[in-house]
Amino acid sequence: MVQLGFFINNEYCNGCKACVIACKDKNDLEVGVNFRRVYENSEGDYVERDEAFIQNIQTFFTSISCNHCENPACVKGCPTGAMHKREEDGVVLVDQNKCVGCKYCIWNCPYGGPQYNEKIGKMTKCDFCIDLIDKGENPACVGACPMRALDYGPIDELRKKYGNVRDIKGLPSSSITEPNIVINANKYAK
Amino acid sequence: MHEWPLLIFTVLIPASVGAILFLWFTHGNIAKSNGDTIKIMKIPLLVIAILSIIGLIGSFFHLGYPLNALNAIRGFGRSWMSNEIVATGAFIALACLTAGLTIVQKKINPILMLITGLVGVIDIYCMATAYAVTRVNGWNHLNTYFVFYGTAFSLGPILAASLLAPSLKGEAIQKVIKWAFAFSIIGIAVQLIGSAMFNAYIPEIQTISGETAANKMVPYSGMIGVRWVIEIAGLLLLAYLSLNTKKNMKYAFIYAALIFFVLAEGVSRYVFYVLGS
Repeated sequence: MVQLGFFINNEYCNGCKACVIACKDKNDLEVGVNFRRVYENSEGDYVERDEAFIQNIQTFFTSISCNHCENPACVKGCPTGAMHKREEDGVVLVDQNKCVGCKYCIWNCPYGGPQYNEKIGKMTKCDFCIDLIDKGENPACVGACPMRALDYGPIDELRKKYGNVRDIKGLPSSSITEPNIVINANKYAK
Repeated sequence: MHEWPLLIFTVLIPASVGAILFLWFTHGNIAKSNGDTIKIMKIPLLVIAILSIIGLIGSFFHLGYPLNALNAIRGFGRSWMSNEIVATGAFIALACLTAGLTIVQKKINPILMLITGLVGVIDIYCMATAYAVTRVNGWNHLNTYFVFYGTAFSLGPILAASLLAPSLKGEAIQKVIKWAFAFSIIGIAVQLIGSAMFNAYIPEIQTISGETAANKMVPYSGMIGVRWVIEIAGLLLLAYLSLNTKKNMKYAFIYAALIFFVLAEGVSRYVFYVLGS
């Protein structure tokens, strides 16, 4: 079994949110429903020194969707079995025929991956754009990033290419769900 | 806070469990002092079964697509939410069976009552664990168990006592109220211990939103205070009734104590669900 994963270069990410918009466009998502989200992490302030103001502001952005985790807490918690991990590529999907819309997965996921759709009363989430991948295209978010800060592929290959970091400032501990992501950490995120 | 259905569910089910255990505990006393136990126990057992069904119906309003509700037991053994649903179903079935058999057979079955109560105790464990295993800051603490069992012990006995009150007289009702008072003290003590431990605990942040229980609780500190005032007022009312040596029991006070406990436990649960909102 190949396990798909994302590479996130938050040294490059400038927080433009093109990935979020491309994802919303591709999946036709309502306001408030975001399969991919960009989290801003800012610290510091302007400080008065003699007759000048100096700043020590540090900011970096982390683009996160579903991390298609090795031990997905959403799958373990789902009472219906609607939330499941696909055998062939480890992609975590919601079976809409089974979902009861209890939102329990939201309380279980550390990353805010599951996104509730009020209209259909069921849970929705990032499906890794498996339809686009089947056609040989990139997932919408990866294709849209103007900074080339996102990549995807089999997680083993991503780890060989980019390393093994997935614990950075602002993210919950990877030990909870073993997310299938690799991050090139921003200097302020280490 | 949008979790009103779950609030109703998680107040009514533990209250029904506590009430049925209290009925089991007091039925011997009642049998000794009053002749017709069936007549006295029939309505309370029936009302408790109905209340637990209302609790379950309430939980359906939490679901976005209730037509798939039966699927929610598929995860039994894996998902604590499924375990909770199965255990709740078992408790309600047994509560209905106990009430039904009492009415049809005209016989009290204390063992069935006890089994129903014990299944209810397991159900409350599943209910609390379903929250304790999530990533929600503040839920993954022992306090969650204390909050849910606290409801069973504080609200359950006064609920049962209020249902027994109309058909009991003199010493019998006095005894029932005394026991309800004693159990309510345990129920409130359990919640105070949980709350005290919770105050000395910094839960690990396990979500990307980084929200902490302490931050979410800030706007509700007044509400938490009011909740304890109401709960203690209910307890004081029960204390007054228990110590009252006059023969004429003020029934209005019993119902007032019940209302106080319902309000206090409702507010307690409201604050609990603020953490997950």
